[in-house]
Amino acid sequence: MTFKELSRKLLLVDLLKGLSVTFRNQHPKEIYTEQYPLQRPRVAERYRGAPRLGVNPDTNETLCISCDLCALACPEHLIVVTSERNPNTRRKELTTFTYDLSRCMFCGLCEDACPTDCLELTQDFELASYSREGMIWDRQTLERGPQPTKYER
Amino acid sequence: MQDFLNYIQHSSQTPGEAGNFAWATIYILIIFTGISVAVIAMNWLERKVLAHMQVRLGPMRVGPHGLLQPIADALKLLIKEDIMPSEADRLVFWLAPVTVVITAFTVFIVIPFGPTHAVTDMNIGILFMLGVSSLGVLGIIMAGWASNSHYPLLGALRSSSQMVSYEIAMGMAVISAVLMTTLTSDGVGTLSMIQIVQSQDKQQTWFLFRMFPFGFLAFFIFAVAMVAETNRAPFDLPEAESELVAGFHTEYSGFRWSLFFLAEYAAMLAVSSIAVTLWLGGWMRPFPHWMAGVGWDAFFSFFPAATFLILALLALIGTVRMPKHPAFKIQKGGLGLFALVLCGIGILLLVPAVKDRIQDIYWFVAKVSVFMYAYIWYRGTFPRYRFDQLMKLGWKVMIPMGIAVLIVVAAAPAFNFVW
Repeated sequence: MTFKELSRKLLLVDLLKGLSVTFRNQHPKEIYTEQYPLQRPRVAERYRGAPRLGVNPDTNETLCISCDLCALACPEHLIVVTSERNPNTRRKELTTFTYDLSRCMFCGLCEDACPTDCLELTQDFELASYSREGMIWDRQTLERGPQPTKYER
Repeated sequence: MQDFLNYIQHSSQTPGEAGNFAWATIYILIIFTGISVAVIAMNWLERKVLAHMQVRLGPMRVGPHGLLQPIADALKLLIKEDIMPSEADRLVFWLAPVTVVITAFTVFIVIPFGPTHAVTDMNIGILFMLGVSSLGVLGIIMAGWASNSHYPLLGALRSSSQMVSYEIAMGMAVISAVLMTTLTSDGVGTLSMIQIVQSQDKQQTWFLFRMFPFGFLAFFIFAVAMVAETNRAPFDLPEAESELVAGFHTEYSGFRWSLFFLAEYAAMLAVSSIAVTLWLGGWMRPFPHWMAGVGWDAFFSFFPAATFLILALLALIGTVRMPKHPAFKIQKGGLGLFALVLCGIGILLLVPAVKDRIQDIYWFVAKVSVFMYAYIWYRGTFPRYRFDQLMKLGWKVMIPMGIAVLIVVAAAPAFNFVW
């Protein structure tokens, strides 16, 4: 053991260094914890959360063209799209769209497959439900978008 | 009544010495309440400071900044179901927490908060303190044995062996400090807690700086041994969560567990008070001789009031800076009220009669609180020792060092070589 190492050990340099680190970290500015219900958490930019079906903001019509590509892309086959052809315009129109969140693994393949950018996985993360049925989202729920309960009191 | 007033204003003796039974009882009650409040405050501070060291917030929801958290915890503990293992030794199981608490609190009757602010002054004060506080080990062994369970038994064994081995090093350090009391002009040593401080006053230095570095080394040994004595991190092996669940109090819950908790913190306060009395000049204000004179006296006498007023100001700033969210309305009011209470105490301490009597207590408590902060600080910093490392440190480092310091401090005055 060299003299340097010995004196380091005897004068407890490492212990004092440790003490100074914890002392400096005490500053309230360093605190990383968020007070969740009061404070909205900072979600990562690429976070994939609750799905949403986009609507045209002007006409309130769905952007979905019922192409069924998302349902085909889904590895879990949890998306069911039904549509019927409008005899006047000769276009497919969306009737129902169900998305079973309980089986979803948020891989984002449906989002990628969507040609009109209608289906997207949003940053919303509050997906808790009181029942299994509540996890199966229908077209209305998907179009309405996330409606988190406001924390009060 | 007149006696009472006379006593509080003019007495120069502790109630025990004066034989004043009524005042002794009042002092005991005041100290008991004070310790309990200190334990509550310490509980909150520990959680808060530890949290901040770990970049967390700590308790925030019960009262402003979690100020009421310890009270909520205490209430929860008191209304909890009282569980006793069916195979436990019922009498000993009941007796163990009682023993621990009684020993932890008995120690406080000789602690000198000021030249007159102690329940009594014994001529064997320091021996009494060490003797009674060591009895706490008995309570811990009782708890471990009576639980009739593996983890508590192992925890109690660890705890007792640790406390017993560190007691020796602690004793060495204490003896060297007691020997230093003989270095006055008349050469008479003392074991009385009050006279130890008065001896430091006469020698015009704290024993920490006496015969440097030997006074400091003795203090260092004591400072390490006292952490081990109270089973606190980094020597908290008896309660090592990862190994022994909770050590000797695994089977305890509710009120009995809270007694152990109370005793642990009271013991921490007690050993810190011993360290302050022996090495840090007890109730003496900083530089009583170097900064002597009426002006300095007046300057230092404003410290107690200033502390409370600054705390009140901090609480007030906290109130103003509370988030403007309706959820924080009640908390804001509570914190404002707390600031007002602190402010009231600060103003009360400015009254001349109170100001003069409170001085000693203030400096004593200030020094002890530094130790209490250090306890939390160690816990936030140091990883736990392995048991053989702990024993190695105790027997191979602390005890030889203690003996060496003791020999030097004992031998040097014999050759008229004192510095």
